[in-house]
Amino acid sequence: MSRPAGRRWRAGLRPRLLAAFVAVTVLGAAAAAWSGAGSASAALVDSAQRRLTETVTSQIAAVTPGLTYPPGQDALELLRTAVSPNAVVTYRDLRAADGADLTTDALREAVRTGGRLVSQRIDDGDRPWLLIGTPVMITAVDGTRTPSGIEVYVARDLTPVGTEIAGMTRSAALTAALALPLAVLLALLAASSVLRPVRDLRDTARRLAAGDLDARSRPRGSDELAELTATVNEMAGSVQSSMAAMRRMQADARRFAADVSHELRTPLSTLTAVVEVLSMTADRMEPDARESARLAITETQRLVTLVEDLMEVSRFDAGTAELRLEDVDVPTAVRQCLRARSWLGRVELRTPPALVARLDRRRLDVVVANLVGNALRHGAPPVRVTVTGTGHEVRIEVADHGPGIPERVLPHVFDRFYKADAARTRTPGSGLGLAIALENARLHGGDITAANRPSGGARFLLRLPGEGDG
Amino acid sequence: MRLLTALLLLVVAGCGVRPSGVTEHGEAPTGVAPGVTLYFLDDAGGLRPSFRETERLGSVSEALSLLLTGPGTASGQRTGITSDTTPRVVVVTKAGLVQVVVPLALSEVTPRGIDQIVCTTLAVHVQSGGDRSTKVQVRFTQPTPESEVERTCPVIS
Repeated sequence: MSRPAGRRWRAGLRPRLLAAFVAVTVLGAAAAAWSGAGSASAALVDSAQRRLTETVTSQIAAVTPGLTYPPGQDALELLRTAVSPNAVVTYRDLRAADGADLTTDALREAVRTGGRLVSQRIDDGDRPWLLIGTPVMITAVDGTRTPSGIEVYVARDLTPVGTEIAGMTRSAALTAALALPLAVLLALLAASSVLRPVRDLRDTARRLAAGDLDARSRPRGSDELAELTATVNEMAGSVQSSMAAMRRMQADARRFAADVSHELRTPLSTLTAVVEVLSMTADRMEPDARESARLAITETQRLVTLVEDLMEVSRFDAGTAELRLEDVDVPTAVRQCLRARSWLGRVELRTPPALVARLDRRRLDVVVANLVGNALRHGAPPVRVTVTGTGHEVRIEVADHGPGIPERVLPHVFDRFYKADAARTRTPGSGLGLAIALENARLHGGDITAANRPSGGARFLLRLPGEGDG
Repeated sequence: MRLLTALLLLVVAGCGVRPSGVTEHGEAPTGVAPGVTLYFLDDAGGLRPSFRETERLGSVSEALSLLLTGPGTASGQRTGITSDTTPRVVVVTKAGLVQVVVPLALSEVTPRGIDQIVCTTLAVHVQSGGDRSTKVQVRFTQPTPESEVERTCPVIS
């Protein structure tokens, strides 16, 4: 088993539960089988031994009163016949034997010194044997016993007992093995009862993470998992309500901005008309008054730009911004954009001869104007605009050679009304230009990224999808 | 898996017939003897054991046959049992009791003669491995309450 596979096997809750259950069951069953079979086999061996020794004792006792004493060879043969097979009968130098003589020294020693019937189990490598050894005693009339010098050694095959024990062990092992599928079944049941709520919770959490704030799990029972489920539900509920509140507030704020800009439009157009009249007569004014009039004209123009930008942003927020796609030759459009704002002289433009893509001409103009205007205002010349087509997207890069964007500001350059320098609040822009540019790019399915070039200066890269070729 | 196998092996190994040391299993068999002990009477009428070299212990029945045959004339011993030409004795051994059916009437046996029979029976019984507290019942040919008495030998036990 390779290591990753092993880790996977240990990883799941179900395999772990299963393994633990099975291990406990097998251990329990094996212990029970072992102790049961062990004590049963001990009893079996014991009873077989007792039976065999008693048989030998009675076989000997049956013939001894008829034996001549001191015994001759024929008497020993007679005794040997009585206890055969595998019997050895000795008396001093005489010896009668048949079958295998497996007698151990320990047994012989015990027979000679103990004066009692003894036995020993041995294994000759082939089968188990019970060796029985006994002296034959002479009992006096008064009951005192003395060894007669006759010794009888008998070997009895214990194979039948072994077979019986093996059968018993097999059946015990089989019973233990039968417990195994039961354990697996129980483990699976337990695992599923634990894992089903866990899986439900996981699914719910996944749905919550995916944005489905209505997702809930139904708590079952009253255990810790049910408590956890209830807690998760509570959490989801509170997240949902705060999200709803936030959305409502956001929508309110947007509507407010939209309403304000809309309401400002009518008085502002009146104001614009007045300012135009004022600008026509400004040249004939006193120098002081002329200065004030110029200021009023500039500020009014800024206000108009701001309100227009606000309305544009509101349209994006409301989702009412429309994309009017047409075949646009990007180099031409960029050049027109720069020419219209008289920036051609200040900008270095690099374009392929032709690059046609399906874009919204007006929005492309807004984006390019915002990016270039931003570079001219905040960066240092030369400002370079590079148009390239990669086959599936159009890239317009605007780079300047200024100090670049401070690291602190970089993540916020596309935020609305974000001022890079808090002290320098009065800039000609509305503070919405880059935000609007980004919204326009996104409306196309594209993106704008801002970065600093290693050689210095800021670099904005606009990428728009489209079948640009060239 | 390796643990399981080890466990199984242990179980199987623990259950076979394993070799053992030497263990005792009680009394060794007995019953060999160079001869048999019969009980006759001396001049004073006391019980006297008389060893006969029969080269074997033999059965109770054989011992009683020898006893009924008599001590012989040259032995200087006497017997309290009338000599019988067909000294055949039936012996029945029960738990704690040996019944001997003698081919004699009560009138043919003196009380000492009964003791002779009881002691000889008990001697052979003990020598062949029997219990010394075993009782002996001597049954006579004619019905008599004496046949039911369970006796012990005055010189054994």
